Amino acid sequence: MLSRSAFRQATRQSWLQQRRGMAAPASGSFQYQVGEAAGIKIASRDTSGPIGTIALVAQAGTRYETMPGLAEGLNKYAFKNTDRRTSLRIQRESELLGGSLISTHTRENLVIGAKFFRDDLPYFVELLAEVASQTSYRSHVMQEEVIPLVMMDHKKFLANTLDMALSSVHSLAFHRGLGNTIKPASSTPYTKYLTAESLEEYAQSAYAKSSIAIVGNGVDHAELSKWTNEFFGDARKSPLQQLTSPQSKYYGGEERISHGSGNSMVIAFSGSSSPTGASYKPEAAVLAALLGGQSAIKWSPGFSLLSKATQEAPNMHVATKSNIYTDAGLVTIAMDGSATDIRSTAGKVVEALKSVAQNISKEDFQKAKALAKFKELEYGQEPRAALELTGAGLVRDNKPYQIDEVAKSIDGVTEDMVKKLVKEALENKASVSAVGDLYLLPFAEEIGLKV
Amino acid sequence: MSYPTLAPFIQQRPWLMRWMRPLARWYFDNSGYRKLGLRADDLIPEESESVQLALKRLPPKEAYDRVFRMRRAFQCSLAHQLLPQTEWTKADEDISYLEPIIKEIEAERTEREDLESMIIKKRTSASTKGGH
Repeated sequence: MLSRSAFRQATRQSWLQQRRGMAAPASGSFQYQVGEAAGIKIASRDTSGPIGTIALVAQAGTRYETMPGLAEGLNKYAFKNTDRRTSLRIQRESELLGGSLISTHTRENLVIGAKFFRDDLPYFVELLAEVASQTSYRSHVMQEEVIPLVMMDHKKFLANTLDMALSSVHSLAFHRGLGNTIKPASSTPYTKYLTAESLEEYAQSAYAKSSIAIVGNGVDHAELSKWTNEFFGDARKSPLQQLTSPQSKYYGGEERISHGSGNSMVIAFSGSSSPTGASYKPEAAVLAALLGGQSAIKWSPGFSLLSKATQEAPNMHVATKSNIYTDAGLVTIAMDGSATDIRSTAGKVVEALKSVAQNISKEDFQKAKALAKFKELEYGQEPRAALELTGAGLVRDNKPYQIDEVAKSIDGVTEDMVKKLVKEALENKASVSAVGDLYLLPFAEEIGLKV
Repeated sequence: MSYPTLAPFIQQRPWLMRWMRPLARWYFDNSGYRKLGLRADDLIPEESESVQLALKRLPPKEAYDRVFRMRRAFQCSLAHQLLPQTEWTKADEDISYLEPIIKEIEAERTEREDLESMIIKKRTSASTKGGH
């Protein structure tokens, strides 16, 4: 019977495809394969499983935007009306295929992508090509859909003291470029700068072939090349306006912002760049794990240096993070809680930092190295892992972010490297930002930092 | 705004257009709205959702000009006067600025209804579903 043989054929085909999907290296290597198709750099790694993810990473984050608010606007305008189909059609078709669409922006990059079943790769590559080159920027869509969302982002940002403090610390450290705020801090971006015409011009610079890279997780490299060649063939070759940003320089300073609800204080100093960049220091990741603050074990404050230092303020959130960008980085120690807690523990946090420059116990160092390596490899297992970092690395330095190599370089970190990093940080100006009840929150000099 | 009309039938036949064009020109000139300085699209009844949304989507200059034309025409109507001949709307000025927006909105609405009344069939084989 025709239907029965067709059914058998279908099951055999799907079984074969599943077999192929499971044929990943048993050691679990996370290496990216790099290539080029239609003048665009692509990278992919074929992980096992039925789900694939692709992303178009454009070097057009807030660092490169020509006017404030454009990166955010472009992020929110992704997957809206194109010349060929409406945004409703795009949403419904993606839903029917079982895929979900991703659109985010960070300080350096704009990431637009999708998660889908592996079979649907051609559909989503075509969709990304349409979004990049054929979106139609209309002012009524801006007024009805985009600007209300930007306004909501603005309000959310103003209500969150931790975000405000982190953003302020970045602008103290880097001034322009990396220091541009990632969410609008006032209404001028959307009242003065964000219009359909300015967004169209920015899109023509952002989505040019020389400033994008296509990265895939869980897709076949040959397939990705083939479909990129077919659909991205007539994308714009060179940008309307070359989006550049000068080399980041670390400045430092102090900023205090008065706020009625919530209290946060962030201390930051110069860290490491991305592994694909020039000034990569794996000791920054180890330092972040050493200082710590947050524990992976529930109901326990943990035994990192900062958790021990802030033991008497258990309700305060303290976390250390090593933020990496292409040519610079920032290690941030964020404290968020009540003003009296921050006042009493900020001094202890700085003392803990100074003690790292003097002496690190062997046991703490081993724990920190293990934790840094674990976090790196755990991050590598996520389907979205390193999409953004690989894309950015490809566009700027022509090197993908290889997680195996990064984990290996953490093995080579010694205690002297970490001590040196902290000593340099304490000698130069720190970036300190306090948001909240300024009567209680201490100045940087009061807690022993140089600004 | 879907009413039975012979317009598409005539527009597809150039010989009919040649016959109808002088008749249409005479009809428009004599309907009188041009003598009050109005355009054809100013006369579209506003009491419908599509037209309200279309008016919101008008570019600011068009919206301002529309209000000005309506005020001028209303004043003429109060005074029971027509405008002087130099200020009548000319045929090449009588462009349709609102109709395309209304058609766009209607198309969006029908597309939404079509997508909602769609029947979905389960995929039978593991073939790649290409772009539409």
